[in-house]
Amino acid sequence: MSWADWWATYSTLVLSVGVYGMMALSISLTLSCGLLTLANAAFMGIGAYVSAIATTAFDLPFFEALLLGTLGSTFVALLIGLPVLRLSGVYLAMATLGFGEVVRIILLNLDITGGPLGLNGIPSLTQWWHVLSALLGTVFLLRCLRASRIGRAFEAIREDETAARLMGINTHPLKLLAFVLGAAIAGLAGGLNAHYTFTLSPGNFGFENAVDILTMAVLGGIRGLPGPLLGGAIVTLLPEVLRDLQDYRMAANGLILILVVLFLPQGLWDPQRIRGWFKRA
Amino acid sequence: MITRPALLCCRFLAALLLPLITAGALAAPAAEPIRIGVAEALTGPASQYGIPILNGFLLAAEEINAAGGINGQKLLLVTEDERGKKEEAINVFKKLIFQEKVLLIFGPTLSNSMFAAGPIANAAHVVAFGTSNTATGITDIGPYIFRSSPMESDVVPATLKTVGAHLPLHRVGIIYGNDDAFTKSGYDVFKSTLQQQQVAVVDTETYSRGDVDFKAQLTKLKAAQVDAIICPCLAEEGANILIQARALGLSVPFIGGNGFNSPALLDNAKSAAEGTWVGSPWFDGNTAAENQRFLRAYRQKFHSDPNQFSAQSYDALWMLVDTLKKITLTSQLDKNRELLRDALPMVSFAGATGPFSFRPAPSHQGKPGGYDAHQTPFVYVVRHGKFTLVR
Repeated sequence: MSWADWWATYSTLVLSVGVYGMMALSISLTLSCGLLTLANAAFMGIGAYVSAIATTAFDLPFFEALLLGTLGSTFVALLIGLPVLRLSGVYLAMATLGFGEVVRIILLNLDITGGPLGLNGIPSLTQWWHVLSALLGTVFLLRCLRASRIGRAFEAIREDETAARLMGINTHPLKLLAFVLGAAIAGLAGGLNAHYTFTLSPGNFGFENAVDILTMAVLGGIRGLPGPLLGGAIVTLLPEVLRDLQDYRMAANGLILILVVLFLPQGLWDPQRIRGWFKRA
Repeated sequence: MITRPALLCCRFLAALLLPLITAGALAAPAAEPIRIGVAEALTGPASQYGIPILNGFLLAAEEINAAGGINGQKLLLVTEDERGKKEEAINVFKKLIFQEKVLLIFGPTLSNSMFAAGPIANAAHVVAFGTSNTATGITDIGPYIFRSSPMESDVVPATLKTVGAHLPLHRVGIIYGNDDAFTKSGYDVFKSTLQQQQVAVVDTETYSRGDVDFKAQLTKLKAAQVDAIICPCLAEEGANILIQARALGLSVPFIGGNGFNSPALLDNAKSAAEGTWVGSPWFDGNTAAENQRFLRAYRQKFHSDPNQFSAQSYDALWMLVDTLKKITLTSQLDKNRELLRDALPMVSFAGATGPFSFRPAPSHQGKPGGYDAHQTPFVYVVRHGKFTLVR
């Protein structure tokens, strides 16, 4: 197959790998702070809808639309994060899951979002370099963050929140920062996604998607930035790679995920295990 | 699931027939098969529509190839599962267009998937032919988008007119699912049609997908004293609504949309379905020879009853064959795709769903649109536990 044919066939898949890589990074940010939140799909939805409405209804340029989408989800995350982050553990997971449902129902009932019919005829504006630069930007930002005082504080909060607080770390604003930054990344990813899939409907950002995103991060491993990227790529590519299995495709998909989680509980990318290989050699 | 055995059966048959045909046509060079893409939801919730659709295509392809194909060329269906998801629909369309090099794509199953994948086909100048997409705006995507499924806005006015001729229709109530693209667009069409035909809507009730208890809504509808209840619902919820309405002593007739045209409605609702009106592009009791032949062949091949979706896909493939027989394919795929797209609008066909032709969609802001189905729907009512045609 020629390069042009290959790209024509798989460009959407390549863009999806990038966008879902960003989604996995966004949830790994809150996970790295010890927070189990399931609102990332909803933030992706907010970013997607806001930027798609900006380009279709208001004819704004693509970059401004993306910016609006990112700011939109950031703003909502700030509002919802203030009260919700007082919770922890399963209660936080449930509250953010509930928030995701609220977003879905609102999208279903607003006129400007097209209700259950969704938004259609969104212009195809996302190019490969948009996704690549957004992804590289995200990775760069998170790398700097991890190496900084804030990143070390995140780690301290994850290992033991009480001890972190005793060490003088002001945990609440830091947790809010992780949550809001994760939402901003998700919002940007949503805006990019909306402009290469032509259509949005509320069902795209429901519970199933929230779990998919969590799976990506857990599968890849959250103890490093390559982990979520790897997980995002695998979960996105697996159904396509397994296409030849036809009816059994999704069963094989699930089986592979179970085996990985069972035998590699730290995820595929586990720096300790990889270092161990080199020592033995 | 029937698809695998069916596919195997198809291949087996082809393997049996191939030597016969090649032996007969030794003089002519062995022609390449014509590759036709089929992108339907074969797994996931939308597979309840996707699998009957695929069955219709398989049946038609088998008959066509058994009859010698098109001017000596066989049809080869390249089937891909799009799972009813927009990203998968896009991926499958790209694969079929750029890798499998198909002449035309049938599908996808859901309107939402067509909104996502249709622009891909349109930009690549390949015909995307939907057999089950009823949402408004599908054919606005562009001139390469065709559909053989009539829109609700074609079916509903005919249904209401027929009902109005047989029943006093002055005050009606509506119950519909407000979180589903199909039921919501059905509701929108009913609402505007009722307004046009000057029927008063005195009460509107809603439910969510997956609900099982509708007694609260039905009690309100009963208190509103309506002549009939409009229910643009899917058969799953529809059967429950009918049963609970009769249990509450609500005896007025129900009027359903496309979703009610399902054997499942009668099976589940039994006597509660009595007096329910349905408008649909296909009627299993249609005595036309084409429909009877389709029914017989389908039952023989799949050992089950066909539904509207298999009838529509069966007809669509035969329609394509009709068109292909009229054009001469060249060795260039791009040119063939254009030839097909120019010839397809001229289809004039009578199949299992009755007489059919295409109608150009109105263009928006100077952009050319695709082609919608032009077909007279059947309107029928449930009498003595059977769908009975009403003229």
